[in-house]
Formats: sequence, C-alpha cells, structure tokens
Amino acid sequence: MVWNRLTPAGRALAVLLPILAIGGAATTLLLATFGGVIVATIGANLPIVRFLAASVITFLISVPVAFLLIYMEMKIIALMNLRIGPDRIGPAGAVMSVVHGLKVLMKEDYTPPSVDVPVFTLAPVVVYLASFMTLLVIPFAPELTSMGFELGLLYFFAIGGLGVVGLMMAGWSSFNKYSLLGGIRAAAQAISYEIPLTLSVVGIVILTGTLSLPKIVAAQDGSFLDWFIFRQPLAAIIFFIAITAEANRTPFDNTEADQEIVAGFATEYSGMRFGFFFFAEYVNVFIVSALFSAVFLGGSNPPIHIDLHPQILVDLGALGIGLPLIAGLAPVVGTLLFAAPLWFASTRIKGWQALVGGFLIFGGLSTAAVGIWAFVMLPPVASLIWFLIKTFTLVFTFVWMRGTLPRARIDQLMGFAWKWLLPASLLNIFATAAAVLVAGR
Amino acid sequence: MAGQMRPSLDDPRVAIPADSSWYEPAPTPKTERQAEFLTLREGEMFVNMGPQHPSTHGVLRVIIKVNGEKVVDLDPVLGYLHRGVEKLCENADYHQAICYTDPLEYVSSLFCEAAPVAAFEKLMDVDVPRRAQYIRVLTMELNRIASHTLFQGWMALDLGGITPILWSFIERDEIVDMLAALTGQKLLYNYYRIGGVNGDLNHEFMSRLGTWMSRAAAQIDSNLALINENEIFVRRTRGLGVLDAKTALKMGVTGPNLRASGVPFDLRRDRPYLVYPELEFDVPTRDEGDSLARYLVRMDEIKQSIRIIDQVLHEMPDGPVMAKLPRLLRPRPGRAFGAVEGPRGVYGTYAISDGSDQPFRMRIHDPSFVHLQLVGPLTKGNLIADTMAVMASLDPVMGGVDK
Repeated sequence: MVWNRLTPAGRALAVLLPILAIGGAATTLLLATFGGVIVATIGANLPIVRFLAASVITFLISVPVAFLLIYMEMKIIALMNLRIGPDRIGPAGAVMSVVHGLKVLMKEDYTPPSVDVPVFTLAPVVVYLASFMTLLVIPFAPELTSMGFELGLLYFFAIGGLGVVGLMMAGWSSFNKYSLLGGIRAAAQAISYEIPLTLSVVGIVILTGTLSLPKIVAAQDGSFLDWFIFRQPLAAIIFFIAITAEANRTPFDNTEADQEIVAGFATEYSGMRFGFFFFAEYVNVFIVSALFSAVFLGGSNPPIHIDLHPQILVDLGALGIGLPLIAGLAPVVGTLLFAAPLWFASTRIKGWQALVGGFLIFGGLSTAAVGIWAFVMLPPVASLIWFLIKTFTLVFTFVWMRGTLPRARIDQLMGFAWKWLLPASLLNIFATAAAVLVAGR
Repeated sequence: MAGQMRPSLDDPRVAIPADSSWYEPAPTPKTERQAEFLTLREGEMFVNMGPQHPSTHGVLRVIIKVNGEKVVDLDPVLGYLHRGVEKLCENADYHQAICYTDPLEYVSSLFCEAAPVAAFEKLMDVDVPRRAQYIRVLTMELNRIASHTLFQGWMALDLGGITPILWSFIERDEIVDMLAALTGQKLLYNYYRIGGVNGDLNHEFMSRLGTWMSRAAAQIDSNLALINENEIFVRRTRGLGVLDAKTALKMGVTGPNLRASGVPFDLRRDRPYLVYPELEFDVPTRDEGDSLARYLVRMDEIKQSIRIIDQVLHEMPDGPVMAKLPRLLRPRPGRAFGAVEGPRGVYGTYAISDGSDQPFRMRIHDPSFVHLQLVGPLTKGNLIADTMAVMASLDPVMGGVDK
C-alpha cells in the first residue's frame, strides 16, 4: 500500500489536500450563490456581529494578558524575595507562564466523586466569562474601545459581580469544607466591597454626568491636573482598596488563603479547570487596573499635552524608482554601516559576528524609529501606549503589595468595608454633590 | 484473559453515595471530653487541618470545630512523627545516644544535644574544659539566632506575607553554613561530646563568623523593619491568644513564651550552666502575653544573643576542647537531670544509669510539646486565621513534640 510508505506529514497532507480542494470549491460556490445575502444580513445586524466579534477578540486578548501578568508576578516577586525567579524558558524566563498554561492544559482534569458535576464544571467557565467580558468596555484608546456602551460603568460592575457567583458555585459544588469556606468568604467579601466600589465612582458620575467610560476618559482631557485622582482623591483611595478586594489580591486574598483554607474554592480543582480560575485572577487584576487608570488616571490621555503636529510629509510617489531602491538598499547599507565599527573595534570579533551585530543594531534602531513614528503620527497608538503604561504601573503596584503585605483577617476586612469605606464613600458623594450644587460642574 | 478489572476508588465512575458515612467514620468516644468534642451543635462542623496542611509546622493534625469562621473547639492529634527516640537512646551507649537526640528539633538541634550531654556529664562528674564551654555557648547562641530568624519568617508566612521568610533565610543559611564548616554537617550537627566538643574552632568558621558579625546587627534590623511596624501584622497579632503569667506557670510553659507573659525566667541566668554567669546579657520580657509579645521577645533575644557572641569572642581562652575520658563510659549507678535554655524553652534530659555503658532510662522534656497544649485554650473563640497566628507565635517543632 502507498499509505503505509508515507511519512506522518505525508499522510496528513494526503487527508488534508482533498478536503481543502473540495471544501474550497464548496465555499466558493456557496459564497457566489449566497454571498450577497450574507453581506446583507451582516450589514443589517451590524450591532450583533460587532458584539460577537468584540467578544471573540477580548477572549483572544485575555489569554496573553494573563500570561504576561503571571510572568510579571513571578519575576517581580522573585526579585523582591531576593530570588532569581524563572530564567530557563525563553529570554529571562519570559515563556515560563505559557509553559505553565500548557502544563495545566495537559494535566489530568480530575472530577472527585460526590461533587455536583454540572455545577462543578460550569463554575470556572462562569468565573472566566465574567472576567473577560468586562474587557469589552475598557477604553484602551478613543478609537480602540470594543463596545462604548452608554452604561459602561454599570455594565462593568454588573458583569464583574457575576464572577462571585462562579466562586460560590465552585465552593458549594466541590464537596469540601475548605472550598465551602472559601466560597462563602468570596461571597461575603465581594458583596461588602461592591458597595463602596460602586459608590466611590458616583462622585465622578456626578461630575461628568455620564456612565460611559470613553466619555469619562474624554472628560479628563488636558494635563494630568485634570485627572480625577486629583479632583476626587478620597474616591480614588476607596476605589483602589475596593478593587484590591474585588480582585482577591493581597492583603485581601482571604478567599484563597493557603495558610488557612489551603486553596479556598479551588481546592478540588485540577487541570484546565483550575487553570481557568488561575487565569481569571490575573485577567481580573489587569481589568481592575485598567478601570482605575481609565476612571482616575485619565485613561488614554497623555499627562502633559504636547501638540507636536509633525509635518513629515514625504511624497512616496515622487521617488519613482528610488522607492524600491531605498527599501532594498537601506537594510544592507545600515547593516554594513553598523557592522563596520564592530569589525574594527576588536580583532577577536569574527566577520559574521560583526555582521550579525550590525544587523541587530540596525533592526533595533529601525524598529524604534518606526515605533516613535507611530507614536507621533498615529493618535490611537500613542493613546494605547499611555493607557498601557498607566495600567501596568498599577499592575506592578498590585504585585508589589503581594510581595510586601501580610493578609488581613476576614473580620477586619469586613469591618473595614462596612465601618470605614462605606461612610467615607457616602461622604464623598455628598461633598461632591454639594460642591456641584454650589459651584456647578 | 485479563484478570477481572477491580474498581478503583480513584475512578470517577465509581459512584460513592454522598449520604453514606464513608467520608467520616464516626469514632466511638472514649472519654467525656471526647464525647463533648464529637457532638456537633446547630451550625457547627469539623474542619480537619493536617497532617499535610500548609501551615501546621510539620505533621501536626488539628481537628477544628468551627461555627462559621469561629473556632468553637479544637483537638490536636499528635504522633505522626513518633520515632521512639527515648527507647532508641536506651539501646545505645552514651556517645551514640547524643546523635539520636539531634533530629528532635531540627531547627535548633544543638540544644537538643546539649541537654543529654549536660545530664551525662552530671552522671559522670566530668569537668568540661573552659574553651569547650565557651565554644558551646558560642555555637548555641548562633543556633538560637538561626532558630529565631526562621521563626520570624514563618510567623510572617503564616499571616500571609511571603517575603520575610526568604529574607530571614539569608541569616539562617549563613549560620547553618558557618556551623557546617565547624561541625562538618548541616542541621544535625552532632557536635557536642561528653566532656567537650568535637574539634576546635577552625579558620573557615572564624572568618565566616567575623564577616557575618560585622553586618549581622544591621541585616537583622532591616529584616525586622519588614514586618515589625506593619499595620496589618500588628493588628492581627496584638491582643490575640493572651496567656497570663499564672496560667503559663501552671501549664509548665518556659522560654520566650513564658517571658512574653511577664515572668523573667531564664535558665541561663537563674540556673546558670557553662560560662553564662560570667557573661553579661539581659532577659527581655513583655507583659502583654499576646502573640505580638511572643514575637517581639524572640526578636529582642536575637540582639542579646549577638551581645553574648561578642563577649564570648573577646574572652575565649586557649586550651583543650575535650576532657580526658576513657573510650567506653560506665558511670556509677545514679540519676541526673540536665537542662538548657533553648530558643523555645527548657530542653531537659533525665537519665538513669545502672552502671552499664548504656543509659538505663532516658526521658526527654521538650518545650514544644508543653506549648502545644496551649493551642486549644488560646484559640477557642477566635477565627480560623487566628489559629495559625497563635500556633506560629508558640513556635512548636513537631519533631520534638512527637519524639
């Protein structure tokens, strides 16, 4: 038989090629017949299609974000602990978290006997869904907002609060007392901190008159003195403490306090179902940091407004045959130019090493040049970069806190929410409202 | 034919009915106290912590009866690490018995050897050379610092802080390496001998000790600054698990736990042994008796230990480090009790000789075992998280508890 003599790749090709040929032909035929109808349907239901596309894209974004945050946490806490941290896989261990993700994917996904199987299976899905769906309303840049809902802030709190249901489901269905305690702690903590969290932004809603996140960001346009952290400092403090508790981060990580209740709600989970809980935690950290930077740190607005308006206008058409010549010769000339000093610097550097070095230097410089060009010339890129700088500063703060602080006790935690944060947020609302009444917006 | 497949309990397809008593076989109570412990009132449940729990310091198992988050009752279950050390010692000669006592409290093993050595020396009326006495004091104080710095890290870790443990391990590792250079072994040193110590101070030990002493005080201060002033740490430990002096004395508590309750009892000063009467040091005490006081007393003791090491290094005489003794020791029949003040309390050994080369009976008093009985009274009525804080502040080591 021919089949037996084929390599595995050849067998795969032998199966795939006919499928591709027949499938491609069928798709072409279908598109030719119903293409107009499909385009018309999409055009008529644009909001639904847009929502679906945005959801898929946010889901795809959330996974690398989780990988990045896990790596950040491993590395930063290692440095704070005077350890080295991950350093084996990838440059400075950067691929370590991806390998962690693959590891949980390949581990046995064990369902203990006597758990409530449907609820047990559904819980991580609910938790992860609740975290990445909130990414929908995050205004990365005015042009880069997935869904600019008018009720964006409300949507955020509503969907974000849904995650607690998942934690409760996990805690209750696991048939484990540690899980039960963890789930109940999660519910108590989340409900207590939702209230000051929501109330603390009411002052800003009064000031801006909108619940839409892009509009709140737009209201902070100007210099950094226009950011709401300076106009609503009390609200910012309350909000920061409340999002720490919402994201279950140290010092409020009572739901998974491993010194007390082993792993809390996730005790009985293994494999990818545990991975979803793990990822959701880090996606949550990113999301609450993004929300804080959007609401209080001016979001995508730069701290100082510099009107560059660069007039770098190169008429590419006028170059004629020069354009392909420049495009083709620039790397060669650049590489040789940067390789020459290396070649002459030391006799120990071989020719090929100098060339590789020159190519790397040229590549780095040209990438930086393109980056700076994009930052200066393309407003969305600049906005995105400002937004990410602010967000990752906050993410670093969360990691820093994890490395520094011990854990608060559950009764101190609840008492703090009800006795201090709630009155303080109410006071903030009244003060803001009074100020608006007297002085206007 | 493959043999018939027997269903495995790991197989999720094997359904175990949730309502069966498979998970919690109800034990028959043997005493009234046990019967009271086993009856659950409305809203209560048992939570089993250990022997493989992240924060029970080894293999302690604690059955906690909780009502919500509140600990109603508590029952420590011991014996997971029982090796019969006392019986092993009775079947070994006097030199061999010392190395059996080493692993009792593996973070402060020099004290575990010092107690039987003291008892045996009393049995045999041996005069220990002065230089050996100084070396013993020096190594014991180093070991005390190692133990206390480790305690600081564990205490913070049990309260949820992850960084202090790694910072405190710097000092502890340096001391362990130093002692390894002196004794040839890490952790279980087996360094003290009846009538002296095994080997004089060597160059590597002294140079490492000098380097370490030049930075020790500053480094330990910076470690303490990590958590001593931390609001969360102080709020979680202040007023928690208060032990008053009367109860402490009644329960036989010794060491820093007793001194934190305001009783300035220290064997080094009150029943002096070795060259301690010639050294100048304070006995730090606190009056509060809570977890924070127990923590702070230990941290103050680190500073006193550094002071003692400083004096020892200045006053150490020359001379032999081992008394002239026959190879095989046959003390005359009699009994002796030797005790030293360790980082956790009084380590004592009671030995009876029948004239042979093996101890006829040997009993070990371990402070961790005594202190573990406090976990119940101190944590009742507090929260689950407080159990860990109280247990960490009592600083038990399970190797010594289970013997």
